[in-house]
Amino acid sequence: MESKHVNQQIAAMRQSFFDEEVLDEFFSQLEQLEDQNNPNFVEEVFTMYFRDSTTLLETVEQAMKTISITLAKMDKILHQLKGSSASVGANKVLNEINKTRQVLEKGNLEGTKAGIWEMRKKYGSLKAKLEPYFQLKQANSVPQEK
Amino acid sequence: MFNLRKSMALTLPLGEASDQDKWDNGGLERKRQLLIEIVLRSRLTALMVDGDTTCWVLKQELLRSYGVQTLGVDNGRDAIDLIASDAAFNLIIIEKILPVLNGLEVTRQICEIGMRCKMLAVTAYSGESERQAFLATSVDVFIEKPLDLEHLVPILRELDRQ
Repeated sequence: MESKHVNQQIAAMRQSFFDEEVLDEFFSQLEQLEDQNNPNFVEEVFTMYFRDSTTLLETVEQAMKTISITLAKMDKILHQLKGSSASVGANKVLNEINKTRQVLEKGNLEGTKAGIWEMRKKYGSLKAKLEPYFQLKQANSVPQEK
Repeated sequence: MFNLRKSMALTLPLGEASDQDKWDNGGLERKRQLLIEIVLRSRLTALMVDGDTTCWVLKQELLRSYGVQTLGVDNGRDAIDLIASDAAFNLIIIEKILPVLNGLEVTRQICEIGMRCKMLAVTAYSGESERQAFLATSVDVFIEKPLDLEHLVPILRELDRQ
């Protein structure tokens, strides 16, 4: 009964990600690649994603403090962030990246800084939602002692 | 911390796959039920060129779920060196933004070397000019990331028929 309740909780959390448009259908594609030989694949991918995205965001934030940063260099980083975010289904993050790139294209550096700050918030929000979800999934996958 | 798997297999046999070979383990059987179901008769090989780890791992896992043997490099120079050393692939998947050499330049050099295979540009997409630039380099298909089944499955079927 307890396990059933936890499963329902996990399912509800998962559904909320789609209802709130935090994640899109590519998250489902990710889930389909998970199996008993690789049960934590989705969590592993998101661990990589958050780690690498944090590094890229820090790079672009540091670069924006220097005079020498070029719009092209910043766009390269945003391009990379866009690719990984689209690949894991991080919908709201992706939307924010696209908005920021449009602002950057117009040469608006202050607007881009604001956009990157918003991106940071979206990453943080996504991470805050997914971490308890993965923790619950992991805990529920541990065989219960009889 | 989690184990992050990266395939660096260098043996790339081509030709007919046995029934045993087609499905590496029971896990693939379950995947077949969930993903778009296709049965490949041949063992296909793919080279992925992408500097982003997350994208790299995802594409690799997606291809491997269909029994495609994959090799990945994370920069343009390594991709060129590999092709120049006569490594053969059925499929090359390439991103635009790469360390050392960008994806457009890598694609041009691969064509100059004379490598003939299906080439997909799978990139984060920076606009129509990017699409046109890639298609002008003889890339067969341009796909905005992520690589999705609707694009991938017909391509695998086509390669399997060849």
